[in-house]
Amino acid sequence: MSFANLSQLGRSLVEGSLSDPEILKSTGREPPIRILPDASVIKIGGQSFIDRGRAAVFPLIDEIVENLGKHQMIIGTGGGSRARHAYSVAVDLGLPTGVMSVLGTFVSMQNARLINYLLAKHGIPFIEPAQFGQLSHYLDTRGAVIFFGMPPYTFWQENPKLGRIPPHRTDAGAYLVSEVFGCKRMLYIKDEEGLFTADPKKDPTARFIERISVRELKAMNLPDLAVEHPVLDMMENAASRRSIQIINGLVKGNLTRALNGEKIGTEIYAD
Amino acid sequence: MRAISPNQFDQRHHLDSMLMRESLLDRSVQRSTETDGEIVRMLPDAQVVKVGGRSVVDQGRSVVRPVVDALAEALPKNRLIIGTGGGARTRHLYSIGIDLGMPVGVLAELAAADALGNAHILGTLLSPYGVVAIPPAMFGHLLPLFIRSVPGVIFTGVPPYSLWEHPSTVGRIPAHGSDAGCFLLAECFGAKAVTLIKDVDGLYEADPRHEPAARFIPEITTAELRDRKLPSLPFEPILLTLLDNARLVRQIQIVNGRRPETITAALAGEHVGTILRAG
Repeated sequence: MSFANLSQLGRSLVEGSLSDPEILKSTGREPPIRILPDASVIKIGGQSFIDRGRAAVFPLIDEIVENLGKHQMIIGTGGGSRARHAYSVAVDLGLPTGVMSVLGTFVSMQNARLINYLLAKHGIPFIEPAQFGQLSHYLDTRGAVIFFGMPPYTFWQENPKLGRIPPHRTDAGAYLVSEVFGCKRMLYIKDEEGLFTADPKKDPTARFIERISVRELKAMNLPDLAVEHPVLDMMENAASRRSIQIINGLVKGNLTRALNGEKIGTEIYAD
Repeated sequence: MRAISPNQFDQRHHLDSMLMRESLLDRSVQRSTETDGEIVRMLPDAQVVKVGGRSVVDQGRSVVRPVVDALAEALPKNRLIIGTGGGARTRHLYSIGIDLGMPVGVLAELAAADALGNAHILGTLLSPYGVVAIPPAMFGHLLPLFIRSVPGVIFTGVPPYSLWEHPSTVGRIPAHGSDAGCFLLAECFGAKAVTLIKDVDGLYEADPRHEPAARFIPEITTAELRDRKLPSLPFEPILLTLLDNARLVRQIQIVNGRRPETITAALAGEHVGTILRAG
């Protein structure tokens, strides 16, 4: 077999070892293209948002509709209380992490379908991972799509270092969509203003953090965090999406302001 | 279990459970899920075998046929889950894809097709012995059925990370290839053993192709291997992390496909190549 037409990088990839640090480094020399640079990925929290029901969700749906045609939105959903219930049952019964990942996927799928039906009359589709090939078409014609936030790792989910709950859940899954497509922004819609030094629901002395680097955030070693830990590591390695924004979706107008590029909520960035 | 209605303090609808109202990102909550109880082994009598793409399948008939014969010989005595890598076609795809500016997730998405092709190539050769190539979409869910229905199954070793592949620490090669996919599958299903069939006897203190006097390493822990800082490894480096975090599969064995008798021995539980242990 001849690979004479390949570049030098091409030949070293075909012939060399993929664990050779020099070869690996050469594969990152050119940045990747941004596939969907005008789209924003929006993750709607499960426990923090959808589980609040109509009072929280309906105003947000209205705001999403107001922004159709103005901003392309790739909308992912969290799991929330039912995922926690399923994980509790699974931990008690000794089920492996990969099986819990399957269970978590089912719950975030339910939430995605709920949001999908609320937006159905505007022609907004729900897509599964296998349908991401049609993502650009739907964004172009309808302005938004819904997906379930869980990454499709299922039985292949990595174990966490600590405990048994799948470490890569809907925050990571939504973030990775924003990174791979080189999207304009990654917004997390929660029920708090953003990131605090502790859980503001349990600790009234918790301080609000407006903007912080991943490095600073890791150095603080907070016992709890508003976003899944692996997202921080992924941001540090990211080629395109090097910051995320957490906003309070309970405040009317916040989504629109964030989509318009206003610095509201908390921004976490990789230096 | 009983559903809890929203109250004046908390407008969220909760389900009564151990993790109710908890942040799953809280370290103490994460620790609380580390229970002493045993984790279910779904397929304790199955073995996962990874057949290298470039190291075996791409080498052609003279290497592949003896590997197929060794696997065929082992099939009546074992339940084999065989995974394959993508080999040269995946390397070629990476080089063209990177040249065209594709991100790591797209490379991972497209590379799965090469390993699937190799699964069908090996699946065809192993078909006379009852091995079935299973489409990825149903593989995980129907594995317990197939593994009890046929002598062996073969699948694309590449895990379904696809567009959701993690950004790489260095460069843009997907971290979760077929070595990782085979290991993660074995760990989730609690398989008895993981064997990687490569084109070297195992690990050496230096690359034996450049330094023929390099000493063989029959057994090593992940910590010792990290300390040695070898310039390259005959398997995906992420395996070290996956082994460290594993609960059910705490070691893998690397054997040489060019010495098919080592495949037979390894599948019989013998120590013939390099054993890499978590620790």
